[in-house]
Amino acid sequence: MTVTDPALGDARETAAPGVATRILRSPSLRLIVRRLLAAIPIIIGVSLLTFIVLSLIPGNAAQLLLGPEATPEQVEAMTRQMGLDQPPVQRYLDWLGGALTGDLGTSLVSQQPVTSELGVRLGVTGELVGLAFLMSLGFAIPVALLAAYRPNRLFDRVSMLVSITGLAVANYVIALLLVLVFAVQFTFFPAIGYVPLSQGLGENLRSMLLPAVSIAFPLFCFYTRFLRGDLVDQLQGEDYITTARAKGIGPWQVLLRHAFRNSSFGLLTVVGLNLGTLIGATVIIEQIFALPGIGQLMLQAINTRDFVVVQACVVVFAVVAVLANLVTDLLYAVLDPRIRYGNR
Amino acid sequence: MSIEEMAERTAIVADGGGQPLLEVEDLRVRFESRGRRVNAVNGLSYRLYEGRMLAIIGESGSGKSVSSRALMGLLPGSARISGSARFQGRQLLGLPDREMRRHRGADIAMVFQDPARSLNPTMRIGAQITEAVRAHGDVDKRAAYERAMELLQLVRLPAPERRFHEYPHQLSGGMRQRVMIAIALAADPKLLIADEATTALDVTTQAQIMELLLELQERLGMAIILISHDLGLAATYAHDVIVMYAGRAVEYAPASTLFAAVRMPYTEALLGAIPRLERPPHSPLPVTPGQPPDLTALPAGCPFEPRCPRAQDDCRTEAPPFTEHEPGHWWACYHPCEGSSS
Repeated sequence: MTVTDPALGDARETAAPGVATRILRSPSLRLIVRRLLAAIPIIIGVSLLTFIVLSLIPGNAAQLLLGPEATPEQVEAMTRQMGLDQPPVQRYLDWLGGALTGDLGTSLVSQQPVTSELGVRLGVTGELVGLAFLMSLGFAIPVALLAAYRPNRLFDRVSMLVSITGLAVANYVIALLLVLVFAVQFTFFPAIGYVPLSQGLGENLRSMLLPAVSIAFPLFCFYTRFLRGDLVDQLQGEDYITTARAKGIGPWQVLLRHAFRNSSFGLLTVVGLNLGTLIGATVIIEQIFALPGIGQLMLQAINTRDFVVVQACVVVFAVVAVLANLVTDLLYAVLDPRIRYGNR
Repeated sequence: MSIEEMAERTAIVADGGGQPLLEVEDLRVRFESRGRRVNAVNGLSYRLYEGRMLAIIGESGSGKSVSSRALMGLLPGSARISGSARFQGRQLLGLPDREMRRHRGADIAMVFQDPARSLNPTMRIGAQITEAVRAHGDVDKRAAYERAMELLQLVRLPAPERRFHEYPHQLSGGMRQRVMIAIALAADPKLLIADEATTALDVTTQAQIMELLLELQERLGMAIILISHDLGLAATYAHDVIVMYAGRAVEYAPASTLFAAVRMPYTEALLGAIPRLERPPHSPLPVTPGQPPDLTALPAGCPFEPRCPRAQDDCRTEAPPFTEHEPGHWWACYHPCEGSSS
């Protein structure tokens, strides 16, 4: 094997550039910058769509704020006061101009600046999403590994039965069942309401557990099924698994060091695709458990036609979705040595 | 390899009598799933002595790969294995996985066909070798690294210190197969099974890998089972040759005997299908018509009978037994070839 050695060519890379240059030239950084730039039209598009849809549904904030007894004159005055008499294009451009400078506007209904309102609620939704995410993956991985360790045995069959059930039931049904059992029947957890972290971690978690489980359970079922299937495919169909077994290493080592490492890419893809589901679920679940998060805020704002607040919520969701997908793509490169971003 | 070298190799082996390293008797493997029964190996027997190279030759589905995987307990759960396979006198078949594991790698190691798929794409070369080193015996990290370096030098991988930290996709096919061999040698096996180890490589690399295997066999004194569809490879490198068809051995002899006087019509057909330089250009390659038999429904007679130019009525009624017709030369045929060399 003296014939071809492509790596001999690497000798020219010996002149080491400075750290700053290396960071600036790093393909990952270029990916990040490119993707963040690409996110701008996405977010503008999303906010524009939201604006159009909100303009199309009947009723406006002034009408809803004043109630059904208000005279047309009062409504008209209120409309003018809120700036809703401006042409839609004008209103959207005004909002967009503010948003680009970091000012997401003032709520039409509460007259509070939207940014400060969002800040508080972002924490609640963030905690909910984070908990649900950790729980779904944190349980799915060990369960899938145990199931794949001995396919078609008791543990595998029971876990697959549970996950099929979980996939067939919507998260709000699970939420209501959880409330019925753990909050009404046995009063372990509060049925509704939010306890901020400042009142102690234990109490805070007690108020967040049922909502987080409601979101996490269907995802847990999906991830478990997916990962278990992928692991079994790797174990039964891949040559490198046979190599690993032929070395004489134990079955757990084969499963963890070889199969799981290769199955993690597929899992990452599925988790990335489900981030939208994860975030979207908060809208309903926050409503059921009366959690003061962004999802609840958005729903209220839609009901009062408070387009400024709706726009802000939608933008926040869009930004989170874009960032989450970016992180997913960057993680591929960490997990899979064959993927290196850039045009090398 | 020169003729003198070949003669020398055969001579060494003749002394190696005594207890066989591996003794396979009436090995049968069938796969059962949902009522379908595939008879992959149907009564295979052979002996392998230390330091010998045995070639098992056959086309796809002849059972050559399945029979060797059965020895290492690497077949899926749907496989039903019977018969006997003694390694240094100890029965391998039917061992629980925990005990089988002690033999894997340490006594019997395996190199596979496609080095691109046989290495874990997500693990560095070094980690894959040290894992094999540490699978048998209590070896610390430092010692495992030293041993991996030693192995990489043994298989003559260029720049081993750098390759140690690289991933499989950064290596060429030949280099990957060298890494596979290094992994196989990690725990000093007494038997190396090369399962189509050179098939996926180009001809030049194939020759290099075969030379490496020969050299390693001489240095380390291990036995090698060379599984291949390539009779030419067997003729060049192996001491003994088994030709398999439809899950059974149809001809078995030392390579020199076999290629001097092929008896089994199937072996002759295989030999005839090898392209040769002496043949006039553009002359059609002789191929054997027909297909190997369906392994779910084997005929009562000789499985090669439908394709055999020498077949007669008695071939259809009962399969010819596999017996030693001449000293050291076994075949399973009622109407063997005259024994003229091809």
